[in-house]
Amino acid sequence: MNSSILNELRSIVGKDYVMNEKEDLIIYSNDATMFDHWPDAVVQPASRDEVAAVVKLAAKNNIPVTGRGAGTALSGGPIPLKGGIVVDMARMNRILKVDAVNKIAVVEPGVINYELAVQAGKKGLFYPPDPSSWKESTMGGNVAECAGGPHGVKYGITRNFVLGLEVVLPDGSVVETGNAVDGEMCGPDWTMLITGSEGTLGLISAITLRLVVPPVTKKTMVAIYERLEDAAKTVSVTMADGIIPTTLEIMNDQTIAAVENYLKIGLPVNAGGLLLVEVDGMPSTVEENAKRVSGICKECGAMEVKIAQTAEEVEDLWRARRSVGAAFGQVAPSKYSEDSTVPRSRVPELIKRILTIQNEYDLPVFICGHAGDGNMHPTILFDKRDKDAAARAEKALDEVHFVTLELEGTLSGEHGIGFAKAPFLKREAGEVGYRLGQDIKRIIDPAGILNPGKMFFYEGKLH
Amino acid sequence: MNNMEEIRHLEKEIVKCARCGGCRSVCPVTIAEHRENTTARSKVRMIEAVLAGEVEMTPAVQARFEKCLLCKACKTNCGSSVATDELIMEARAKLVKRNGLNPFKKIAFTAQRYRKLFDLGLKMGGAFQGLIFKSLPDGSGKVARIPLPAAGLNMRRVVPNLTSNPLRSRKPYLSKAQTPQSKGKVVFFTGCTLNYMYPEAGEAVIRILTRNGYDVLLPDDQCCCGTPAFTSGDVETGRILAEQNIKAINAQEYDHVITACSTCGTALKEEYKALLKGSPLAGEWEKLSAKVIDISDFVVKYCDLIKFGNLPLKITYHDACHLVRGMGVSAQPRQIFKAIPGLEFAEMKDADRCCGCGGTFSAVYYELSRKINDAKVDNIEATGMDYAVAGCSACRMHITDGLNQRNSRVKFLHTAEIIDKAYEAGRKEGKV
Repeated sequence: MNSSILNELRSIVGKDYVMNEKEDLIIYSNDATMFDHWPDAVVQPASRDEVAAVVKLAAKNNIPVTGRGAGTALSGGPIPLKGGIVVDMARMNRILKVDAVNKIAVVEPGVINYELAVQAGKKGLFYPPDPSSWKESTMGGNVAECAGGPHGVKYGITRNFVLGLEVVLPDGSVVETGNAVDGEMCGPDWTMLITGSEGTLGLISAITLRLVVPPVTKKTMVAIYERLEDAAKTVSVTMADGIIPTTLEIMNDQTIAAVENYLKIGLPVNAGGLLLVEVDGMPSTVEENAKRVSGICKECGAMEVKIAQTAEEVEDLWRARRSVGAAFGQVAPSKYSEDSTVPRSRVPELIKRILTIQNEYDLPVFICGHAGDGNMHPTILFDKRDKDAAARAEKALDEVHFVTLELEGTLSGEHGIGFAKAPFLKREAGEVGYRLGQDIKRIIDPAGILNPGKMFFYEGKLH
Repeated sequence: MNNMEEIRHLEKEIVKCARCGGCRSVCPVTIAEHRENTTARSKVRMIEAVLAGEVEMTPAVQARFEKCLLCKACKTNCGSSVATDELIMEARAKLVKRNGLNPFKKIAFTAQRYRKLFDLGLKMGGAFQGLIFKSLPDGSGKVARIPLPAAGLNMRRVVPNLTSNPLRSRKPYLSKAQTPQSKGKVVFFTGCTLNYMYPEAGEAVIRILTRNGYDVLLPDDQCCCGTPAFTSGDVETGRILAEQNIKAINAQEYDHVITACSTCGTALKEEYKALLKGSPLAGEWEKLSAKVIDISDFVVKYCDLIKFGNLPLKITYHDACHLVRGMGVSAQPRQIFKAIPGLEFAEMKDADRCCGCGGTFSAVYYELSRKINDAKVDNIEATGMDYAVAGCSACRMHITDGLNQRNSRVKFLHTAEIIDKAYEAGRKEGKV
């Protein structure tokens, strides 16, 4: 990057907040995937105006701009595929408002999900979306990728909580979408257009979020099955019965064994599968629902249903769920961790098909996920240094995507498309949908400077 | 590019990193600076890039590897159990070999190799420190009269007084058990800070041990544990010091080796292993390692918890990095505090977050280290307690500096001093 541009960047954000040594560029080249591409410079703005000035400068000089939160994305969203400037939002980390009366929060994009949850909690409120990365991932990234989490079944995912956004558009102008009252726009819902757009339409500089009242109480239980299919069936039956648990997490035998090996908390390693269920609400409803869910589990073939009696037992069960990623890390160093999402009635079928893929490509594909909303996390484990295994893993991954779409599912329940899943996007969106995606982007970002090469503008081979 | 080959063996460790970014939420430096280039995953990424020939082991890489407190929080929190601390230390060693050591560190570590000279130097330092430093009125330390940035001395930094009469000069080689019968012999490995800066805390350790029936040996030829040198990448000095200590300790007959500085304890118990690869003393080290125990752990396991007297102090406790994550000691001090009548104990927020000292880190990056420490001091003050307590003198040095700079009313005591005071109160109550 030429020095006059670097100097202009320095004059915008301050010289300490522009990085262009290759020792820094390299570490801003990747997110939580295995892919990478170097940027030419990294800036850390401290305000909306600085973001806008950076984007304006980039637009004038036709330099690509890629936004970045904590770099925990699982689809390549923050990877600067065409180089240019990475805008790291880490310094824009102020919670501007937590309003207990109107039940809203206004945050800057660099605020960490967990921090928001803690601050909301202090005012007696609750922000439900809880991706596994909640302790480090930022709200800007959560909105841009439309993050989910175990609470999704009952409460919904990020998009259900975004009321309004302040967005720096690709020419450096700033637009406010939605509002702090009900999020409703007079006209099309631009807030939802930006949510999940992965930094391709604008850089989010402030977010207005809906908060809810936390449940009075909850009950956590684990149902143990001989057959994984029975666990999957339980999910459909429960939801059809009209009970909406807070959480319905599924784990297969390999996942259980890996987690138990990692945590040693006494999980049933001989089981074929388990369900982690949580119901919340008023004490009387919770009691009643826990009983009903427990009954359904047994009807569907659960060998055992254990309701956690103490806070420690609850914590152990959640620790088991949250440690899945870590436990997989102990099994093999490399993984494709997907978020294939299908209608919940088709979860059993998805599981069956994934097990076939596992055999076909001779690689462990562990199964876990938010079964309650059909958002599954099939995880292909391998060692990327083994070229043959890496090639098989890639093929198995393609197969997982094909199967997901075949079952009327979606490529991404919460991780986004980025470029990792972009080759399959046309198949999901359809010819017209894909063209519309391109057209919308072209109107908002005609020069294509924001996060180029992603989603509808992926330049590799399409499946 | 032969430097690439020298770190090839790290590949099996770095491949475990899932790049998940979990280290961001616990790294004190990342939290203070909001920069990806301070995270553990970025270090892994840099090693990967060096191995792929994408970047050389430049001084810029070295600077990024230096900016780490080695607090081990990332390692403990890492879902994939990447041995981040070992990776960073190995990389530092290779980087120092290639690019050299910071000149101030070079002089300091070289001097450490000459044990007697180093000892004399620090004793004379105790006598002549008034030339460079002026004392604070409350006696808690000194500030520099002139800034000495190369030595990490900012003018507002409060450093502890160097004693002109170090612990190992004050106390004899053998302090006999105060009970009619000895329960065993223990070697007290004092480390530098208890010897030269906080000998009173060291004396407290000896009193705890002798009161509980142990003969305490204080070998005169023990020296610095070597941590400042080997964590900075000066493996050569580290090894010389490690070997000297092993010889000094194993020349004794002992049942336990007591440490009251968790940095020394972690070095003796764990970190010498990597340092002594291929050394003829590796076997000797294994014998020693199994017997190293922190004083608070020792008190819980081998001492009387019912002879504590009433100690009406209000304290909070800071988990020193090397104690909680290095030696796995965190429940023991709390168990002791619970056993002391009259003692009021309150947990602080993020008790196990690093205080920002990191040994030589605080000399090289004083302002950053201060910023991290300010968060710790905020958490200490928020408890409303009168004393901050920890089992590490480096934390003591740094937290005392932080407390002094804001004229806090909170004072600092070593865990051993609390235990010693409780026993003394017990003796006055006739609990013997």
